[in-house]
This record gives sequence, structure tokens and C-alpha cells, in this order.
Amino acid sequence: MILLRNLLKTSLLSSLLLLAVCAEGAENGSKPVQVKIGTILASNESDQFDARLKPMERQLKVMKYRSYRLLKEDSQSVPWNDNATFEIPGGRSLAVSPQDSKDKQIALKVRLTEGTKPLLDTTVRLQGRGYFLLGGPPHEGGALVISISASAQ
Amino acid sequence: MSKCESTRETLGAWLDGELAAGQAEATRLHVEGCAACREERHRLECLQSTMRTVLESKGSELQFDPFWQGVQQRIAQKSNWYDEVGDWFRGAFTAPRLAWAIPAVIVIVLAGLSIDSFFRNAKIAIQPDNLATVESIDAYGRNVALLHENETNTTVIWLYQPQESENDSSTEPSENKPSF
Repeated sequence: MILLRNLLKTSLLSSLLLLAVCAEGAENGSKPVQVKIGTILASNESDQFDARLKPMERQLKVMKYRSYRLLKEDSQSVPWNDNATFEIPGGRSLAVSPQDSKDKQIALKVRLTEGTKPLLDTTVRLQGRGYFLLGGPPHEGGALVISISASAQ
Repeated sequence: MSKCESTRETLGAWLDGELAAGQAEATRLHVEGCAACREERHRLECLQSTMRTVLESKGSELQFDPFWQGVQQRIAQKSNWYDEVGDWFRGAFTAPRLAWAIPAVIVIVLAGLSIDSFFRNAKIAIQPDNLATVESIDAYGRNVALLHENETNTTVIWLYQPQESENDSSTEPSENKPSF
């Protein structure tokens, strides 16, 4: 009887410990989202390709520009449903707000503004560590291409 | 139970001096007055005497060395692998160790459930999955293009912004138009 009681006690304690560990893992889902922005200047003025952009060369070349140069990179930890603002060259800014996460996809609400004037609002659902490109604003004889990625921490 | 029966049960203990004083005195009185119990006492005393004689005369001749050598040999002997496996299983499935069975089952179930996501993440780490689903776009009246290129899984939102809003690019009005 004592043996059985000890057996149950040990099982219960171990299970509680395990559940605590699992709960800690589940808690990570509410942690902030790491939003990463890369601002790239795409132009046809030269044939130079910035070596720092090598990992996304194939994706960038979809746009058929001859030259790509990374102007700046920025990363911020953004709480869910909060807002992070990134400065974009040319007096623009990009506000990114993580909305929700379903099936490991993060929904981002993105607003591009120029001064106080909104240029574009979009909501994009990113899978895993993926990113999407937002391009078009003219800059220094070319066009700005902004890569936007997010990952849950 | 008769007096003789109860006396004979305690007779051995009385002869060995193991009884309490009162019980020993009662046994002695009964044995002195009972011929059958006196005979039983005599028989036990003879038996004890014989055993003592035998042990005293033959005890030194007993050889314990072969017995101890056998024990040591069995301790030192390397057992077969299947005996070791059998011992391990017997040890693993004794009651105290079974206490870990429940958490172990939980761990295995959780591992089974998360293995898919683990491999999915591993795949992403090797080859980034750029899949993006655009749920809404509002360009405030401006033209906008949405491109998804399947080969590289690239999603591009392209905003056609009027050139006059960009002072530093006014000399080359066609530069911000990509040729997808």
C-alpha cells in the first residue's frame, strides 16, 4: 500500500513538472514578434549587386532591375497588436503591427506613409520565417524595395 | 489444550532458559509431577547432548572453503548478455521505476505531436519558405500590383507612386516601374 502511494506520488509530481515545462513552452506564443526590415535601392544605373543581398538574389531579380543595393536594415521586437515604426529613406516610414498567429503564420498589418500621407495599407500573412517585398517608392533615380519579415520569438 | 500439551510446547524453551521466571517455575512443577513430561524432558536433553557432542567433535572437520570459493566464483563470473538484459528488464519494471512511466509516455506523445513541426522548421532553415498571403491592400487610389512568383515563392506588392511626389527622382521618371 505504501509502495503504491509512493508510486502515485512520484507519478503525480513528475507529471506536474512536465506540464509546467509544457506550459512554459505554450507561454512563448505570447512573446513579442521580431520584425526585420531591409530597405533596398533597385535601379538600372549599374550592374552592381550588393553581396549582403545574396541570400535573396533570386527573389529580388523577379523585379528585373539591374542593380540592387542594401541601404539599411532594421529589426525591432514588437508585441502582438502593438506597432513598430521603421524609418524609410525619402521621408517615409513603415508601421508594422503583428496581428495574430495561426498555423505558424504571422499576420502583419503594414502601413507605408510619406510624411503624414498614407501611401499604402496592407495585411499580409507570412509563413514561418518568410518575407515579402514591398516596392515602388521612387528614390535616387531608382525604386525602393522593402523586404519585411517576422518571426515569433 | 491440556497442561501436558502446553508444557511440551514450552519444554524446549524452558531447557534453554528462555522462559520468564513464573512460567519456568510452573513448567518445572508440572514436569516433576508428570511422568510423561519427565520422559519428554529426558528425551530432549539426550537429543541436545548428542547434538552438542557431534558439533564439538566434528565441527572442526567441516570444510567451508569450497563453499566460499563457489560463491566468489559466481560473483566474479561474467553473465551472458541475455541474462543482463533480463536483469535490466526486471529492474526497470519493478514498481518504483514504473512511476516514471506516466511522464515518459507524456514525453513520447508530445514528441510525436511536435515532430512534424520540427521537420517543417528544419526545412525552412535550409530553404526559406517565402510564402506570403496578402489579405488586403489599400493604396488610397494609387495603382498597385501584386505579384507572386512561384519558382522562388516571392510575393511582391508594387506601389506605382506618382513621380512628382519624389523630388530627387524627377529626372528619371521611368525608374520606379519594374518589368516583372
